[in-house]
Amino acid sequence: MTEMEPREDALQSEMDRLLRRSMAAPIPSLPPEFDQRWMNEVRRRSQPSNRYRRNLLTGYGLASVVASAVVMRGQGINWGTTAVMILAPLALAAAIPWAWRIVQKAPRQSVNQI
Amino acid sequence: MTLVESDAQLVSRAQDGESQAFAELVGRHKARVFRLAVSILGREFIPEAEDVAQEVFLKVHHAIASFRGEAEFGSWIYRITFNQAVNLKARVRFRSPHADETVLYHAVSTEPGPERQAETAERDRVLAECIQTLPEVYQSALRLYYWMGAGVVEVAELLGIPENTAKSYLSRARKLLHGMLKERGYSCD
Repeated sequence: MTEMEPREDALQSEMDRLLRRSMAAPIPSLPPEFDQRWMNEVRRRSQPSNRYRRNLLTGYGLASVVASAVVMRGQGINWGTTAVMILAPLALAAAIPWAWRIVQKAPRQSVNQI
Repeated sequence: MTLVESDAQLVSRAQDGESQAFAELVGRHKARVFRLAVSILGREFIPEAEDVAQEVFLKVHHAIASFRGEAEFGSWIYRITFNQAVNLKARVRFRSPHADETVLYHAVSTEPGPERQAETAERDRVLAECIQTLPEVYQSALRLYYWMGAGVVEVAELLGIPENTAKSYLSRARKLLHGMLKERGYSCD
C-alpha cells in the first residue's frame, strides 16, 4: 500500500501536467448580442400565444356573462340578484390567484431568511 | 452603498412579473450556464452551446412561476443546462463539428521543433479522443477544470455534486486517461 500511494500520486501529477498543457486553449464567451437575442426570442414565443389565450378567455367570459344573464332573467330573477350572481364568482376567480401567490410566498421567504 | 439582491429575492420579483429582475438573473448566471454547456458539448460545438444557453433561459423564463425555491436557483438552472446540453450532444454526436478539437489543441502547442510538435499534436489528438470516451460528467469536469480554469468548488457547483465527488471524478478521469494513453503506446510526461 505504501508503494502504491507514491505511484498513484506520480500518475496523478503526471496526468495533471499533461492535461494542463494539452487542454490549454482560449476560453470562449457568449457574444455581446446574447441578451438581445434571448429577449427577442422570449417576446417572439410568448406574445402570440398570450394574445390568443387572452382573446379566447375574454370571449368565453363575455359569452358566459351574457348567457347567464339571459337564463337568469328568463327565470324571473331581478337585475340586482343577476348581477351579484355573475360578478361574485368573477371576483372570487380574480382573488384566488392573488391569494395563492401570497400563500406560496410566505414559506419561501421564511426559508430564505434562515 | 447599494445592496446586492440575492437570487431568491430576484426570483421572487421575477415571479411577480418584473422583467428587470429576470434580466438580472440572466446576467448573473449566463456566463456559467454557457461554460457548463461548452464543457459538455466540447470546443467543437460552441455555437450549439450558445443555443443551449438561450434555450435554458427560455425554459427558466417559462417555468419560473413554478419554481418553489426548494433548491438554490443556481442549482436548478445548472441542472436544466446539464440535461439540455446532454440531450443536444446526443443529437449532434454524428454531425461534423465546426472545428476539430485536435486542431484547436494544436493551435496552442508551444513545443519547440517540428518533430516534437508533431508528436505532441498527435498525443493531444489521441488524448482528446480518449476524453470523448469518458462518462459525460468526467468530460465536463475535466473541461471545466483544465480548460476553463474552474476550481473544484465551481466544478462541484456547476455539476450539482459535492466537492469531494468532483475531486474524485477528476482523479478517476486522470487515472482512466493514463491507462488509455499507455494502452495506445503514449507516454504521459
